[in-house]
Amino acid sequence: MNGEPLGGTPVRDAGTAATLVCRSLDSGYHKTPVLHDISFTVDRPSIYVVLGPNGAGKTTLFRTIAGILRPTSGQVLIDGVPIDQQTSRDRLHYLSHVDGMPDGLTVRESLDFYARVERASSADVDRVLDQLQIREFSKTFISQLSAGQRKRVSIARIFLREREIYLLDEPTANLDPKVAREIRTIILELAKDRIVLYSSHNLFEAREIGRYVITLKGGALTLFDRMENVRSAHFVVGVRTLEPTSALAGWERSGDYYLHEFSGPEEVPALIRDLEARGVKIREVREMENPLEELFT
Amino acid sequence: MGAPAPTVVLPSLLGVTVRRAMIVGRISVLVGGGMVAIYSAGFGFGGALFLSIGAVVLPIFAVSGGLGGAMVFTNDRMKGVLEYLVAYGVSPRRILMNAILASLAQATVVLLIGVAAGTTTYLISGNTLTWRFPEVMLLYTFPMSYLTVSLMTTVGVFWTSLSSPRTGMNSPLGVLPLLGVAPTAAVLVLALTFSAYAQQIALAAELVLAVVLVNLLLRTNRLMPTDRMLSSA
Repeated sequence: MNGEPLGGTPVRDAGTAATLVCRSLDSGYHKTPVLHDISFTVDRPSIYVVLGPNGAGKTTLFRTIAGILRPTSGQVLIDGVPIDQQTSRDRLHYLSHVDGMPDGLTVRESLDFYARVERASSADVDRVLDQLQIREFSKTFISQLSAGQRKRVSIARIFLREREIYLLDEPTANLDPKVAREIRTIILELAKDRIVLYSSHNLFEAREIGRYVITLKGGALTLFDRMENVRSAHFVVGVRTLEPTSALAGWERSGDYYLHEFSGPEEVPALIRDLEARGVKIREVREMENPLEELFT
Repeated sequence: MGAPAPTVVLPSLLGVTVRRAMIVGRISVLVGGGMVAIYSAGFGFGGALFLSIGAVVLPIFAVSGGLGGAMVFTNDRMKGVLEYLVAYGVSPRRILMNAILASLAQATVVLLIGVAAGTTTYLISGNTLTWRFPEVMLLYTFPMSYLTVSLMTTVGVFWTSLSSPRTGMNSPLGVLPLLGVAPTAAVLVLALTFSAYAQQIALAAELVLAVVLVNLLLRTNRLMPTDRMLSSA
């Protein structure tokens, strides 16, 4: 499977014209193969959500693209340059699902440490302390932070220097909803002119922010498509009314919602018109099932 | 592919690694430094004993104080720091060398404490310094200390890389001090048994350690594969 025929005009920015190519990628750990013949091309700024059940190979894919794992066969190329070349590494940011914060240092010192690794400046550290709203923790030792605060500091690291490609492995895991939303907002902003590969177990989040979806199963690529092309076999809509109504008697219920199954979302406007014609005062209409769930079965 | 990629010089992380080793391994330095101060001060009062048995035993304290590099490496692996460093292009060889040099910095602190304490009491006791003192230090105490600490750190880093991430007494870190002490203990026993050849025994031991160390360092890429530097999380 290949990610090239995605349709539409490529959205390219003069400063971010990177093309990431995974070509016939086999990779794994020591002698344990995980990824099998993964091929896709990503060449336009957007968020590409990488989904798959546990053990599908999402983290292995990210680690291989980041050049941490050496593929047993195949190649990872950025604009034709293999990822094991430093010039390619310098075009990519990797955020692991582990925090990667060094022991024995404060927040400020940890960011200084990574700033040194990344050849960023002290001014960059100051900027991300404000950007991620973590200045109040700057003198706190990493070991004294909560899991959410640590994650935030970990995320701050990827903003020390701008890169063209971002690999974000579960960036909002363990974050409270408010912080997770803030992080998503930052990532959405980032994806306007950057390529972001984003793995998540939160399917609603994936659907909210992803423009493309990449699914893995058993180490193989099973889907690479636009998010809007991912449809459920069952399209169930829930209708919540302002007041009880007999017009919906006989509909299946789930909590406050009256449920109705369609063959696709294009039938929803007609349903709304029909219900309004029958005097139903609609408070909310929502899709009850996430089509991404079916990608896990 | 186009023109060859320009060379990118990655920054040295030696300074920050040394500093972190001093923080993470501060207990090791404190214990090693405290013990060596008491030991050396005691032997200093013994006059000539300080320049014979005292100087031969000093590397043991350097080992106990020089665990910081291996501790930083183990911590970094468990916390996922190594994963980032590799992704940013820092080579396993550089990570290893930083760990070794950080341990050597700690060992130097411990050795200097020992030498200062021993020399002070040696002189207070009415002894005078001769050329024998720098000779013993430069030919045995410091080289043997640096070799054992380097070897211990190298083995610890390789062992940590090749085993599942863990800490505790049965972890590489828990066993490392024994490994570091063993060469010095062997030299001590042999030198006491064959006292006429003590100097030759010491130099031969250093040569053997140096050969083993260089051989191990040449196998860094095989013994520190990047896929074994990942956290298990």
